[in-house]
Amino acid sequence: MITKRWFVGGAVLAGALFLLAASVPGQTGYKAPRTGDGKPNLNGIWQAMTSAHWDVEAHPAAPGPMWELGAQFAIQGGAGIVEGGQIPYTPDGLKKKQENFANRMKLDPEIKCYLPGVPRAMYMPYPFQIVQNPKYIMIVHEFAGAVRTIYMDNHTDAPAPSWMGWSNGKWEGESLVVDTKGYLDTTWFDRAGNHHSDELQTIERFSARSPDTLNYEVTINDPKTFTRTWKMSLPLYRRVEPNAQLTEYRCVEFSEEMLYGHLKKKTS
Amino acid sequence: MTRRTALIAFIVVVALAGAGSVARAHHAFAAEFDVNKPIKFEGKLIKWDMVNPHSWFHLEIKGEKWMIEGGSPNQLIRQGVTSKTVPIGTTLIVEGYLAKDGTNKAVGRNFILADGSRLFLGGSAPGQPK
Amino acid sequence: MRRISAGALAIAVAMMWLTANTNADQQAAGAGTAKPAPRQGSGQAAASTAKPGAKPYKAPRTPDGQPDLGGFWSNATYTPLERAQNVNKEYYTPEEFKKVMQDAQTRDEGQTTPGTTADVHYDFTQFGLDKSQHTIAQNLRTSQIIDPPDGRLPPQVPAAAARAQAAAAERKQQGGQYDRVQNMPNGSRCIIMGGAGPPLRDAGYNSTYHIVQGQGNVMVLTEMIHDARIIPLDNRPAPPAGLKQWVGMSRGRWEGETLVVETTNFNGRNPVGGGRGGGGSTDAVKVTERFTRISDDQIEYKYTVEDPNTWTRPWTALNYLQKTNGPIFEFACHETNIGVSGILAGARADEKRAAEAAAAKTGSR
Repeated sequence: MITKRWFVGGAVLAGALFLLAASVPGQTGYKAPRTGDGKPNLNGIWQAMTSAHWDVEAHPAAPGPMWELGAQFAIQGGAGIVEGGQIPYTPDGLKKKQENFANRMKLDPEIKCYLPGVPRAMYMPYPFQIVQNPKYIMIVHEFAGAVRTIYMDNHTDAPAPSWMGWSNGKWEGESLVVDTKGYLDTTWFDRAGNHHSDELQTIERFSARSPDTLNYEVTINDPKTFTRTWKMSLPLYRRVEPNAQLTEYRCVEFSEEMLYGHLKKKTS
Repeated sequence: MTRRTALIAFIVVVALAGAGSVARAHHAFAAEFDVNKPIKFEGKLIKWDMVNPHSWFHLEIKGEKWMIEGGSPNQLIRQGVTSKTVPIGTTLIVEGYLAKDGTNKAVGRNFILADGSRLFLGGSAPGQPK
Repeated sequence: MRRISAGALAIAVAMMWLTANTNADQQAAGAGTAKPAPRQGSGQAAASTAKPGAKPYKAPRTPDGQPDLGGFWSNATYTPLERAQNVNKEYYTPEEFKKVMQDAQTRDEGQTTPGTTADVHYDFTQFGLDKSQHTIAQNLRTSQIIDPPDGRLPPQVPAAAARAQAAAAERKQQGGQYDRVQNMPNGSRCIIMGGAGPPLRDAGYNSTYHIVQGQGNVMVLTEMIHDARIIPLDNRPAPPAGLKQWVGMSRGRWEGETLVVETTNFNGRNPVGGGRGGGGSTDAVKVTERFTRISDDQIEYKYTVEDPNTWTRPWTALNYLQKTNGPIFEFACHETNIGVSGILAGARADEKRAAEAAAAKTGSR
């Protein structure tokens, strides 16, 4: 028999379920406008707003690498983007991270203007642009002009390893799911030396959460480096100013002194 | 098989194609590798780094590790070549020139397999009819 | 695969295709472009697979209604930018062009002599990088430049010669080409290749592009150094004068079946039309490109270059983007640019050896 109590209880339960669904990334209930081929429209220029590019784990503010730059270039603190808080390294993996951190001024590939890899490129403080087509979704990054090609049909394996990986994508309801393998082991996750091996596989989910924001989450699968899979998640914000556009950040020149300065001809 | 000097002709071809950067790259190779130090090595493949702008074959030659420069892999990849195409341990005979910087490095003018055939595409092995 | 048979096969296929098809210029759409009449006795520039008398080709549409330019394209060609000095007509006959291709392929495939500078290089043919193994945008033109009608770059303004002299003097000041990395060419440094432009210029190899259209945008990805230019189609205003870039800033619009892209705001460091001691364009250059899909497997690519600091008048060139297969594998250039360290280290090693030899000479006197 359905009584008033049942009715109220049912409404409360439905409300709770709705709230639960709303708090799970990708299931906010928001539906993005459609492209001509009926898919959620993710075209646009997007950018993260976190301090994860310094350190994806929670970390306080700290002095920067050059004291001369004082407060202009010091480390911004943040709550981190790692779900569960800590990266589950194996003992060797943690050792390597600590070595990386100790030698980061020499080792960080970002300093050398090397392609940043995934997912680092997604939360570096530079915009990127999604160009969405039924067969290919391109992600073009301002930093170093890095390019990701996401193959939406004709999924194949990576012919050879690369810095930005080999991405196969598909739609799952409102979410773009991107499965990427074929990474070189030469990229880091941040400036703190968090790293991975060449067995890395990432699974990313992009889901619109409002007209100008996306939920982004990435699952890291690398049994050589970590004891289990783990996730990072953060919102991505649309660059809404009129005439938004990526600006060239062709940084090779900025890194040449660091890379080749010691090979210069010495002028007497 | 006749061999002939193609230096001028090569640069003309390159100029025809409007690719001045390729002509300069040609000259740059002679700055990196010593034309007076030709080599012919036989070794076993440790790894083929399929990278740009030039790929690198890492070989074990007489117990030592060497790296030999080859071409961009991009056109080969379009023809179906992958990192599995040349198995680790493959014997390669390399003719080329030694690096000027004194390291175990050379450029591979010709990469030849143990049966005398050419790795990948084109050309003919020395001594064979064109 | 033996080179000669591959090359001969390529020529045979090219000739069959060229003689079987119609003059692409008569098919070309493109607002405001006059359709050039073929010169008497010069044969047809057969670059389209459309049949004579058929309606102009209409490309399929992208989901947002743009004519579809998507896919992988090659602009490799045997047609030079400028007409050769001893050639004074617009089109080769098919027989003449066959000879041009054969000569080029013989040079491509020719073996270099051991012990010469040319021999100090990997063999392009082995890696499929020579032109005979590339998808070619075939046509019978004697030059890519179609205006001025003589098929050659227009004369340069006096300021350009002065600039070239000043640049040469400055380069001399900076020392030898291998004294430091900054003295080396842009391409060797993996900053940018000439082919990225704009305009898109055929590269010696890997002359491949990937075009992907999203809503309101066209992306043109140049293979070498993964240069991705995203062209907005939203009639936005001219870019701010203070922002100059290696590839400039592009604005696009559709005029019927033709994508018109205007690019300004260049920083002048990757000049157009340089070479022959001339400096090429400055940061004042404006490049207007016109992409028109003229068949399933061809895009007509026409571009006009205007730079009053360099040439007495604008000039226009025409090439074709020929459908080819992908993928474009990541061209991470700077990341594994081992050549730069090798060249600099080699130059320092040479200097050291020369210095030691000189010291030994003085020591022994």
